[in-house]
Amino acid sequence: MIIQTSALQGMEIKRVAVIGSGVMGAQIAAHFANTGVPTLLLDIVPKGAEDRNVLASGAIAKMLKGSPKAFVHNAAAKRVTPGNLENDFDQLSEVDWIVEAIIEDPDIKSDLYKRIDSVRKDTTIVSSNTSTIPLSRLVQGLSDSFRQHFLVTHFFNPPRYMRLLELVVGPDTKPEVLSIVEKFSDHRLGKGVVHCHDRPGFVANRIGIFWMQSGYAAALASDITIEEADAVMSRPVGIPKTGMFGLFDLIGIDLHPKIDASMASLLPAEDAYHQQRCDLSLINQLIEKGYTGRKGKGGFYRLNRSGGGKVMEAKNLKTGKYAPVQKVDLESLKAAKTAGLSGLLNHPDRGGQFAWRVLSNTLAYAASLVPEVADDIVAIDRSMTFGYAWNAGPFALIDQIGVANFVAKMKAEGRTVSDFLNLAAKVGSFYRTVDGNLQYLDIKGDYQNIPREDGVLLLEDIKRKSDPIISNQSASLWDIGDGVTCFEVHTKVNALDMKVMDLINQSIDVVSKDYKAMVIYNEASNFSVGADINAFVELIEQKNWQAAEKMVAKGQSTYLAMKRSPFPVVAAPSGMALGGGCETVLYANAIQAHVESYLGLVEAGVGLIPGWGGCTAMLERYASNKKRPNGPMPIVTAAFETISTAKVSGSAFDAKDIGFLRPDDGITFNRDRLLADAKARALALSDNYESPEAAEITLPGPTGQAILTAAVRDFKARGLATEYDVVVCDALADMLSGGQAADVMAPLTEEDLLALELKNFVGLMKKQGTLDRIQHMLKTGKPLRN
Amino acid sequence: MQNNVVIAGYVRSPFHFAQKGDLARVRPDEMIAQVVRGLVEKTGVNTADIEDLILGCAFPEGEQGFNMARIVTFLAKLPVSVAGTTVNRFCGSSMQSIHMAAGAIQMNAGDAFICAGVESMSRVPMGGYNPMPHPGLAADYEQAYMSMGVTAENLADKYDISRLRQEELTVISHQRASDARQSGRLTNEIIPIVNGDIIISSDGCIREGTSAAALADLKPVFRTDGSVTAATSSPLTDGASATLVTSEEYAKANGLPILARIKSIAVVGCEPEIMGIGPVNATKKALSRAGLSLGDIDIIELNEAFAAQALSCVDELDIDMEKTNIDGGALALGHPLGATGARITGKAASLLKREGKQFALASQCIGGGQGIATILEAV
Repeated sequence: MIIQTSALQGMEIKRVAVIGSGVMGAQIAAHFANTGVPTLLLDIVPKGAEDRNVLASGAIAKMLKGSPKAFVHNAAAKRVTPGNLENDFDQLSEVDWIVEAIIEDPDIKSDLYKRIDSVRKDTTIVSSNTSTIPLSRLVQGLSDSFRQHFLVTHFFNPPRYMRLLELVVGPDTKPEVLSIVEKFSDHRLGKGVVHCHDRPGFVANRIGIFWMQSGYAAALASDITIEEADAVMSRPVGIPKTGMFGLFDLIGIDLHPKIDASMASLLPAEDAYHQQRCDLSLINQLIEKGYTGRKGKGGFYRLNRSGGGKVMEAKNLKTGKYAPVQKVDLESLKAAKTAGLSGLLNHPDRGGQFAWRVLSNTLAYAASLVPEVADDIVAIDRSMTFGYAWNAGPFALIDQIGVANFVAKMKAEGRTVSDFLNLAAKVGSFYRTVDGNLQYLDIKGDYQNIPREDGVLLLEDIKRKSDPIISNQSASLWDIGDGVTCFEVHTKVNALDMKVMDLINQSIDVVSKDYKAMVIYNEASNFSVGADINAFVELIEQKNWQAAEKMVAKGQSTYLAMKRSPFPVVAAPSGMALGGGCETVLYANAIQAHVESYLGLVEAGVGLIPGWGGCTAMLERYASNKKRPNGPMPIVTAAFETISTAKVSGSAFDAKDIGFLRPDDGITFNRDRLLADAKARALALSDNYESPEAAEITLPGPTGQAILTAAVRDFKARGLATEYDVVVCDALADMLSGGQAADVMAPLTEEDLLALELKNFVGLMKKQGTLDRIQHMLKTGKPLRN
Repeated sequence: MQNNVVIAGYVRSPFHFAQKGDLARVRPDEMIAQVVRGLVEKTGVNTADIEDLILGCAFPEGEQGFNMARIVTFLAKLPVSVAGTTVNRFCGSSMQSIHMAAGAIQMNAGDAFICAGVESMSRVPMGGYNPMPHPGLAADYEQAYMSMGVTAENLADKYDISRLRQEELTVISHQRASDARQSGRLTNEIIPIVNGDIIISSDGCIREGTSAAALADLKPVFRTDGSVTAATSSPLTDGASATLVTSEEYAKANGLPILARIKSIAVVGCEPEIMGIGPVNATKKALSRAGLSLGDIDIIELNEAFAAQALSCVDELDIDMEKTNIDGGALALGHPLGATGARITGKAASLLKREGKQFALASQCIGGGQGIATILEAV
């Protein structure tokens, strides 16, 4: 028997090249570098260029300055090596994966592929980031080996942040090639991979472009203003607040006529897209005048700075003139608030009519695309949630409306309804839950369990199948298997209140008795934005100092008890973990953070210092980090800088630099794998677990305070600190230097420091300047610079 | 005087911006060891005759710790009999090392001394790693620890030094340093520093073609309503300098290239919040000890810690800028704290010889409120 082993077996992606250093290519290269992979970024040599790598080098420099940040850490930028397609082409023979992200021209791409084929290793994978050209066209005339190792990997802008990665394979693509790319994209790049068919626009843009074109045509044909259209076609539908015209501006208006023409030429004559096309002369006029969107002078919206002010203006679709943005007042929006999506869609005003027209067109179109663009509705819904940041994809939206209602309304309008929609109306819905399993409707009319990739563990699945071990209004404790529990906060914006503290205390008892470990985790967009300040500010306004102090002390004792409990606690943040939310993370015994974790002790913004142990925890972290310089002062100055400037990490890597994460804390790229990774970490720690002993820290005392207060006064002289900043910083300096009695010969315990933290917190809380800051923040959402 | 004291050699490393400059990766002990070696080779002094290596350093800790002077005697391969002491008078440290040698020679306590200075402001931060002021003093007399920039603002206020004048001095300093470099007048004093495969042989802080217009746009860095900018402050600098100080008798007997004789020396304290005025009284004291008046002085090296500070001294003493800092000052060259004193004293001595003049003055201000001055005469 001959055993055939593929050369690709066990192949790892160790080096990558990206060709094309435009916005997408450069940022894709950055994201590969983010994962730790050395990446070559190549582009052409511009005519007469002195620096032959100028395009790639320039792109890297631009990314280091630009926002949102393409790199998770500046060190990642060093992993991108700039080069050019003349001198460095041979280096392509050393990489495992080449991503092509050059101009959307099939002939130019084809020529490049032939050159690549002449230098690449037999096993090197080549993929294109094309968004419009069919794969079949791209591989025409190329070698068997090239076609076997080729696929489309379509990233969304910005690639670090947008989760969607559309994968398209051809008939010749080797299954191992797909599996290597898929595994790397999922685990390392953290992407939500969707398998698409080789159809124009693949999945997300096919529907997204239809939605935008349909919306534009509908707005032109009605009396609706663009402010109204965006107000309707955003939050009420579960779509980002940019809405539709805001999205035109964000993407760049100049792209739209090209995309529209390209889709029209590629889609078959019977495709519903053609009916949505309309006169684009207004858009073309905008482009001619340089109004190409946010990258240009403005677009459908613009910031008018004439006369010294800043006035946001919107285009009037009828007159073509700009006018100041009007506050939207539509009855249909009020209906959406009370009666949900159906309330909006059934409302007879222009907002309701517009929403119904655009959404019914788009959702019906999506329903007609199975299985043309993807095998199932799950792929389509994931594409829109990951690629366009919709809260719910088209099929989940139809379920929200009710399939029967949706179909009935369409029929009443005399519109044709696709077989698949009729089928869904008959069985009731596109999704259902049976025995705790989420199922979807396949094209044949059968329900199938939604598969999860190997190793993915989602709290949403656990919650569907089980009841919490213990629970109250604000938080729940779940059994996530193998003796591990998950502590979930579920308040509004995951603000932390006293009920959360109650449940942590109860959980410590329960887990101590019956479980091995606890993970703190939730699936909201932000881990926690901090303590519930509303309850606190009420006490301050009433000058009920005792009760306010009790709230702070309770948080401290709860976190300390959690830290010293007989089982390991692993915090798994994703998104923002600010103030009290950050302190929750700091008091876990270990952290497994999602790469997009934004941690910060931001209390200074409301005139306070961290009070639930954040100051003490930072001192302990800086004192125990062997990489930092020795002596009592560096600890204090590092903590002072982090807290006084309310530093927020731009990523989990950045959080490690700042010191929120310890050097051995873990980072997960794929959001869906965070809980599984945290659980594995908790289990590993639970073997022979010993809870930490009370920390002892040597602090300088008054001499430290002298240096810090002098520095703050210098900052004030330089205009970098306000009057009340000085007051807050003085309290912080007292806390971090160890208080008046501290001395380098007398180490302080964690308890001493927590008491000092409480004392300084309480001192600030009683001051008018702090109350002014809190009230201003609650009213305006912005910090007061008093 | 029983024993005349002479300066018989002066060299320095190139000066470079801290952090971003070419010397940031060079340890200070290694840097000064190479400069000391260069001084020995250039002067041809018999190292067995050297009594002591007196090394100035403003923040002697970390890589500048361990009594760095003794470490440098080993690194520079001086005989084991050569002693080493590290001295600290902040910015005046290495001028102080020359004064100490002069005193020792007068006491018949040695014939030849290496008086040097070094500061890596990249590798040991100003203030050190663990700044721990006396808290009571910091509360009652905060100017004891006042930041240098604030003292410069105080002087600008007190002596009414306009921003424009500060910028004019900065431009002059850069022009003169730039001319001196281009015409090769600095080459002789520089010992190239070798760091692995890299040789660093010229200065890094001087900006050619600096114009007053370019400086006018900068924001004040120490006080929002102040006048002192990054350009009108000397930059944070890495660098080292060394002089050979001997008795006149020894130099002559051994055929050493004498640059100048030390005529008089002085130190003095002043209010810390205007520490930059220190050179005024130090100079007056030294002049009176030398029996000279300022009008007798042909060459002046006045350290430019800040333009406002230097100009306050110029106004108070009525100094003629035409004979002051003729190859540029610290605003352009840089100010590696511990190294500056030996640089300006050695420079003044070598200018005396180069220009064929009779008397020179070197003076500088010192953080905490002090001044230091040295008067030299041609031999």
